[in-house]
Amino acid sequence: MESKAEICVEQINAIVNEKKQEIAMALKVCAHCTLCADSCFLYRSREQIPEYMPSHKFITSLGVIYKKKGKVTREELLLMKETLWKRCVLCTRCHCPLGINIPNLLAIGRRILRSQGIYHLYSEPEKMNGLYREESILEEIK
Amino acid sequence: MIKIKEKKFDEIVDSIEGFKKILVIGCGGCASVCLGGGQKEVERLCVNLNQFFQSEAPSRSARGYTIERQCNIAFIEETRSFINLFDAVLSMACGAGSQYLAEIYPDTPIFPAVNTVAIGIDREIGVYEEKCRACGDCVVGYTGGVCPVTRCAKGIFNGPCGGTNNGSCEIDKNIPCAWVDIFNRLKVQDRLGNIMKIRPTMEWQNQTQRTVVQNR
Repeated sequence: MESKAEICVEQINAIVNEKKQEIAMALKVCAHCTLCADSCFLYRSREQIPEYMPSHKFITSLGVIYKKKGKVTREELLLMKETLWKRCVLCTRCHCPLGINIPNLLAIGRRILRSQGIYHLYSEPEKMNGLYREESILEEIK
Repeated sequence: MIKIKEKKFDEIVDSIEGFKKILVIGCGGCASVCLGGGQKEVERLCVNLNQFFQSEAPSRSARGYTIERQCNIAFIEETRSFINLFDAVLSMACGAGSQYLAEIYPDTPIFPAVNTVAIGIDREIGVYEEKCRACGDCVVGYTGGVCPVTRCAKGIFNGPCGGTNNGSCEIDKNIPCAWVDIFNRLKVQDRLGNIMKIRPTMEWQNQTQRTVVQNR
């Protein structure tokens, strides 16, 4: 069971401050060139849905936590959980030409969520969302 | 993925005897997926250990921390700032993860809290079945997608042996004979020629530590 305790902003900020330079630099230098997307197998196999772009994943999770100075709600963190676990397997293969270590940033995001008792539970049945992919393969074969 | 199973509580307690501050490190990778060593399991083990310590040795305590993967230095690094605060570490990752932790922190005693059981598949949530022994020389292309190394009790390459009994293995009638399955599968696919040739014994590459270098 996930913890329903209040979000501890101090705890979140302690982790953010530890990696502050790295996070700030990444948010600043990301040129939205989308080259990281090309090296993400999930993005490529999920019909190039923007939510699967590695840069999008870190900007909408850790980026939001950083900009809000840790003042996020549990609901926001739960939404980030979807991004950080279901849209990324941390294969560490995404490449940024500007040198942003995206998997590292996503791991920091997961660390923050874990510190608040929010993490993906593999004991819960998965809602299969790969149907559209199956259809697209069938269409390709036709 | 790799499948692990938590060790018996008594064995875990025995292994950390004499150490006061215990850090339980979970793994967010395969160990988490097979419900063996993720954050939830880490929290549960910590509760059980602390309950035990309270009754047996109140000066001892256990804390939990889960990293994304124990087989990658980038994720292990986040434990560096506090690992020295603990006398011993219980790793809930596979054998690779716990050994890598031990390599990174040579001064810290690392103990496995889980047994690495198999490379396997998910039959359903919580039910896993071994499919591969990582022998390093895959033959399932010739054996109809059935691994004789994993599925056959003798691991024989040119089967079945004399012990096959109406489709069952001689060690247990509830275990299907892998070579009967191989034969049936190849027959359906009209590929029986694949097992007509005698295959030489395997040069067991797992005698020495293996390293994989992929072409990129």
